[in-house]
This record gives sequence, structure tokens and C-alpha cells, in this order.
Amino acid sequence: MKQEIRSQSMQESYWKVDHPSGLTLLLYPMEGFSSAYAMMTTDYGSVDMSFRTDPLADFTRIPAGTAHFLEHKMFENEDGDAFAKYAATGASANAFTSFDKTSYLFGCADHFEESLRILLEFVTTPYFTPETVAKEQGIIGQEIKMYDDNPDWRVLFNLLKAMYVHHPIAIDIAGTVESIADITADRLYETYRTFYNLHNMVLAVAGSFSPEAVIRIADEVLRPAPTLKIEREFSEEPETVAQKRIEQKFPVAAPMFGLGLKVRPADPKTNETNSILNEIVNEVLAGDASPLYRRLYDAGLINSTFDSETDCGKDFAALIFSGESKDPDRAAQEILQEIDRLRKEGIDPAAFERCKKSVYGRYIRMLNRPDSIANAMTGAHFSGLDIYDLLEIAGSATLEQAQCRLMEDYRTEYAALSVISPQD
Amino acid sequence: MSDTIKRKKIGDGVFFSAITDPKFKSNRISVNLLLPLEEAAAANRAIVPFILRLRNRDCPDFTRLNEKLCDLYGALVDGDVRKYGAYQIINLSVQSLDDRYSIDGAPLVQECADLACKMLFDPYLEGGLFSEADVRLERQNLIDTIESEFNDKREYAVNKCVSLMFGDSPLAVKKYGARERAEQITAQSATDAYRDLLRRAAVEILFIGCGDPSAAETVFSKRFSDLVRAPIAYDPSLPVSRAQQVQSVREDMDITQGKLVMGFRTGQTTSPDEVNAMKMMVALYGGTPFSRLFKNVREKLSLCYYCTSRYDKASGMVMVDSGVETGNEQKAEEEILRQLELVRQGEFDEEEISSTILTITNALKSTVDTLNGLENWYLTQILSGCDESPLENVEKVSRVTKQQIQAAAAQVTLDTVFFLGAKKEGESR
Repeated sequence: MKQEIRSQSMQESYWKVDHPSGLTLLLYPMEGFSSAYAMMTTDYGSVDMSFRTDPLADFTRIPAGTAHFLEHKMFENEDGDAFAKYAATGASANAFTSFDKTSYLFGCADHFEESLRILLEFVTTPYFTPETVAKEQGIIGQEIKMYDDNPDWRVLFNLLKAMYVHHPIAIDIAGTVESIADITADRLYETYRTFYNLHNMVLAVAGSFSPEAVIRIADEVLRPAPTLKIEREFSEEPETVAQKRIEQKFPVAAPMFGLGLKVRPADPKTNETNSILNEIVNEVLAGDASPLYRRLYDAGLINSTFDSETDCGKDFAALIFSGESKDPDRAAQEILQEIDRLRKEGIDPAAFERCKKSVYGRYIRMLNRPDSIANAMTGAHFSGLDIYDLLEIAGSATLEQAQCRLMEDYRTEYAALSVISPQD
Repeated sequence: MSDTIKRKKIGDGVFFSAITDPKFKSNRISVNLLLPLEEAAAANRAIVPFILRLRNRDCPDFTRLNEKLCDLYGALVDGDVRKYGAYQIINLSVQSLDDRYSIDGAPLVQECADLACKMLFDPYLEGGLFSEADVRLERQNLIDTIESEFNDKREYAVNKCVSLMFGDSPLAVKKYGARERAEQITAQSATDAYRDLLRRAAVEILFIGCGDPSAAETVFSKRFSDLVRAPIAYDPSLPVSRAQQVQSVREDMDITQGKLVMGFRTGQTTSPDEVNAMKMMVALYGGTPFSRLFKNVREKLSLCYYCTSRYDKASGMVMVDSGVETGNEQKAEEEILRQLELVRQGEFDEEEISSTILTITNALKSTVDTLNGLENWYLTQILSGCDESPLENVEKVSRVTKQQIQAAAAQVTLDTVFFLGAKKEGESR
């Protein structure tokens, strides 16, 4: 089934195809562009650690870091590794694992069809042996150590550890050297068969390419997957944080902080919608034009590294403010006090209109690039939305909606602070 | 296709270049002021874009200025510093949506051109100088930025290797300058640096996007014509020697993974053919996921997670950087050098050459699809005295031969090895 998704305001459209194999295709041809970007994603990330496909069976629990491990191992097939195959097309390929997704992607200007064939073939052909698994444990061990030395990464994961009591979002995406030692070839196969079922996946393509060619290659490479229903298990997560403050000494020049507010999660669509509305609220609260930003900047409590974000995924949602600060505790206190003030006094309508325009502009700019379009189509798809819905949510947001988010999501009693401080 | 650039002189030492393509939804104006890197002046110049970004004469309030940017659909205004070879580049940029997407009909392109101009020409001054408060704030921010290099150990190790390699030449001067110099910045010294930039810098203004560049061109021409200038003669060529002997430096820190950085000199690469051959050689050696370094140091020997090589034609340097377990650095260094030797001896096949050409071709052809890609490409072209389009470069790179790659590898000499090691158990956290 092929469906056109159109935006009147942008005068653009793209195609959504339900391929007979079970895979969803999102195809966004862009006139005038020279390159194309393709991304195949499974609805499976680091937090999916307990699952079953048979409602009567027990849940299968897998070691932390399995999704990321699988991502690395997918590149290896019996007839060589995927990078070597891409070498013959010139495509620039990569993959990444996030909390709730694993994506395989390439960008290219020439030989799109050959590269797409490589992508579809290697992602649908698992090949794991005890030897290759053992070797990968060494490489990933080095990757984990690299992240251990990265203070931006540490401040974030320490924060998540402070915020979440049970939720696996608090565990590093790559796992630990100990947890990945428990990964075996058999476990990888079992996990693969569950989450890499084509009904659980989407292929997003944007830029210079022919949609007919994508469908033709999908017809040739993909075999229909059996339908399955994946059930995931998450422990009941309390609203309260695990600890209010966490600190780590680190060889850094200036202290860094991450202040997180735990938001009550909802279904994926509501999560995504609220997350966009919260981008506007964040802009009102802590954007460059806000009184808070000015106060913190003038006092030297933040610098240009200051940032605010709204994060959400399977069974979690959070608001995070982060940056360098000479006094992280004071910066955090100022932010929390401003939230309380705003909740008491309400959002200024003029500030709301301004910040809404700014966030709307950000979403339109997203449509400038093939890679950001493919990413956004994928994210929206797993939330049950299309890419223009994101623009629409930002563009039609009302003051009442923003006010409602402020009252429901910005609850300072559910905040945690992570601090990285220089060694003595 | 945005494959061509229209560059013209609009003032004394001032050039305006337009690269336009209707496929984009945004426009970007990038103003670049170039002066030779000098240790004593670098920090004073580096603070200038950050002060100019804060406010201007027409909008003397930082918050009001940012409100205005929100109203322009989140227009992005940035000040930053870049480095090209022995030159420091002070950069100001404004990026916004095209007029077509303005719901309230605001002329975004014109407004952004005006804003870029005001930032550069009409700073907020008190008694003829930058405000003391702005200088105090941005001085501290600059010091923080200089110091933050220490946070990212990979970047720290790379910069350390560059400093060791170039000693007291301008190439060793960091783009934001030194901390000690930054601490001495005053309102007077920063304002002097700003006036000096306006008077002496070579200026390259780029307009990239879907809109009409004429508004920006007109306003910048007019403002520069009001100035009396004595611009420098920009000269990108630099004396690059071969390494005489290898210096090895080790430092230990409380980290878990060691960082090995090896700096090589390329000697003179005067002709474009030599530059293209060097680019090919470095990509084949360690620039791709099927390169010699990736295949052998990472995949075959599992010595590291990353091991890559890059070539900076502006400083005539090739650098290999790798994250390795402390204790394995000797093994990694030997393998890195052995692979270079193999490339010198021609121990690589046609397939490696053709794959590398395909990868470079792909990257070049993709640069025309983003505003940043176009800006970086054409600014580098201008700064290196060339005017090739990415497609023209594709043509030339594809003609590089095996002999030329071997010759490029033979030209490369190891100068400096820097290893940032992890402290032994017991002395660490």
C-alpha cells in the first residue's frame, strides 16, 4: 500500500509504503539535491532488556549493552563485512544505538541502488560465531573506556542514574565490560529474531533517489516476515528520583552540570507531542531571550555551552538543562526557582508567541537536509506521527497547551542534579 | 546546482561571494576577517566576535536582541574563531529561513543582512570602548573555552601534538590564544583589536542559500566604502620542512584509555596535483572504514576503537590519532608506521585505490547539499588560492595514480609522537 503524505504549507510531500515483507518504507525525494541518505531502523534500543513474543512464556532478559553489541556484529557477514562492501560503492556508512532505536545508515551521491541493496542485505542477514563475539568484546571494551573518559557523557549518565530507580535508561547504552562478557552468539540470534523482524522496522530515505527503485530493491531482497507482537517489560518506576544529587571528580578544567526533571511518561504519540510543546516552554524558561538566561549569563553561572533539551522514549520522558558552571549548585537552584516562579505567575503571552516562532523555525530548517529528514521521519513514525505533524504541533501550539505542560511536567520536587567537578 | 561561486571585490581587501541554490529553505551570511596568527594578539582578537554577538548600538540589550532573533523564526547568530594554517579567522554569521517561510511576511533576508552588518560595524560602545561589563564576561568565557580543551582528552592530545610539532611558529598558536594572554584582556585592548581587524584584516563574506544575495552585497559594500583601510596581503603559502628527528613525549593522567597521536610533516606540496595525491594517500592509509589503519590496527589487532589519519593542507601536516589501552601504545605505533611503509612500497591494490576514490567522490558531491558543506568548501578554496568546485575536484582526484600515492607517502616524515597515558592502578581514582 502506497500513501502520499502532503504538507499544504510547505508544498512538499513524501511516500509511506507498507511493503509486503512487513517493512515500512518512508520515501522523501528532494528536488535539486545531489545526495541521498538512507536509514534502516529497528524499534529496539538499550532499554529493551526484557521482552517476550509469546504471551504465555516467561520474559527473556538480556545483558545490558546487547542492542549496541548487536549493532556492531550486524556489519559482519559470512562473506565479509559490510564496510568492505560499501567500499565498492563509495557510500559513507554508519550505525548507532540509542535508548530505544538501532539505526543503520548510509549517505551517498552515486551508486545509491547498490548501496541500498547492501544495507537491506546485511541488516537482514545475521551471522554470529563464538569467535567473532569474543573479538568484538575487545573492541567494545575500548569504546566503553573511551566514553568513561568523556565528561559530557559521564555527566549525562550519572544524572540518569540519579533520576531513575529501576528504568534501564540509567545504564550506559554500550553496557559495561562485565555485562557484555555475558553476551553469546546464541543470545544475539534470539534477540535478532525478535527485534529485527521487518514488522518492527522502518526504512527512511531522503534526497536524490527514485522511490520506484527503492520498492523494486526491497521486493528483490526482502522476504516476508512472520507477524509478531513484542511485549516489553519495564519495572514500575516511581515518580521520585533515586537521589537528589550525584557528583564525580574528573580531570576537567571547569565544573559541569546536568539538571534533570523527571516527567511522567505517556504513550509514544503523547510523549512526542508533549516533547515539542516542552521545547517551547524550555525556550520561554531558559532560552537565550529569557530573563533567567540573562541572569545566569551575567552572573557568570553559565556560558555558551548551556543547553536545554526535552527527551522522551519508551516509558520515559525527561527535561534536561546542562552546561559548564563555576557554581553548578547555584545555577541549578536558580533554574528551579525560575520554574517555580513561572508556574506561579504563568507564561507571558508575548514570550510564548516569540518562542513558538523560534521552535517552528527550527522544525522548518530540519527540512533542509536529507539526513535530518530521514531521522525525523523515523522518529515520528515510531511515535505514530508523520514529519509534518511535528511542524504542525509546533506551529499551532497554544498558550494553554504550554501552560498545561508547565504545570504537569515541570515539577521541581522530581529534579536531580549531576555534577562533574575538577580533581583537586 | 549550487556548483558555482560568484566572487567579487566590493572594497579594499574585501570580497563578497555568493553561492545560491533554490533547493535550500535558508540563507546564511558568513563574515570572515583574516589576520596572521600572532601569539601576543590572538586572544584579544578571539574575544571580539563574542562581544559583537552580545549587542550592538541599535539593540544595546542582549535580551532584546535575542527576542528579535526569536521573532525572525529563530535566526541563528554566531560569533566564533577559526584557524587556517598560520591565519586566525574571526567569524560572524547569521542564518535564517528564507522569506517564503515567513508567516507574517517579514523580509528575513534583508533583516539578517542588516543585522550582520550592524554586528560588525556598529558595536555597542561606552566612551569609545567596548563595555567593561561585556569584556569582563566574555574574558571569563574565553578563558573557560581555552581551558575546556582539557575536558576532551582526544582533542587535548591532538592539540598537544600540534603544539609540540610547531614549537614557536605561528602554526602552533591556538585559535583562541593562550590563557595568560586572555587574562590580560581589557576593554581598551579588545577595542583596539576590533579596530585593527576592521582596518587590516583580509575580508571574505559568503552568502549561501536560496535567496537573493544583492541586499547583503549592497549593504556591506556601502559600509566598507566608508572605511579607510590598509588590508594585509593574504598569502597562504608556508614553508614546510621535513622532520629532522622524532620527538617522543608522554604524559600521564587519571583516565581509562590512552590517546596516541602521531604528527607527520608532508614537506612541500606546491602543486594541486600533489595536494590531491596527498589527500588520496591519507584517505587510503587511515581515512575510511576500509583503510589500512582501520582494517589492521582496529579490526585485525583489536588495539583500539578508533585509529584515523587526516591531512591538513594549510599546515602541511598529516596526523594519526588513536585511542589505545595503556601498555599497547608501542604495538600500535609500530603497526601504524608499518602500514605507512607498506603504502610507500606500493603494497596496496587497485581495489583500494578505486574504493578510496569512490569515497572521496561521494563526500565531495555531498558537500553541495548543505549550507555548512558549501561554506567550508568554498572558504577553503578561497583561502588556498583555488576556485575549484567540488565536482571539478572529483575529476582531479579520480586521476591520481598509484605512483603518485606512493610518492606522497614517501614525502611524509614522522615528527612527533605524543602519548597521553592512564596512570597505573593505585594512583588513579
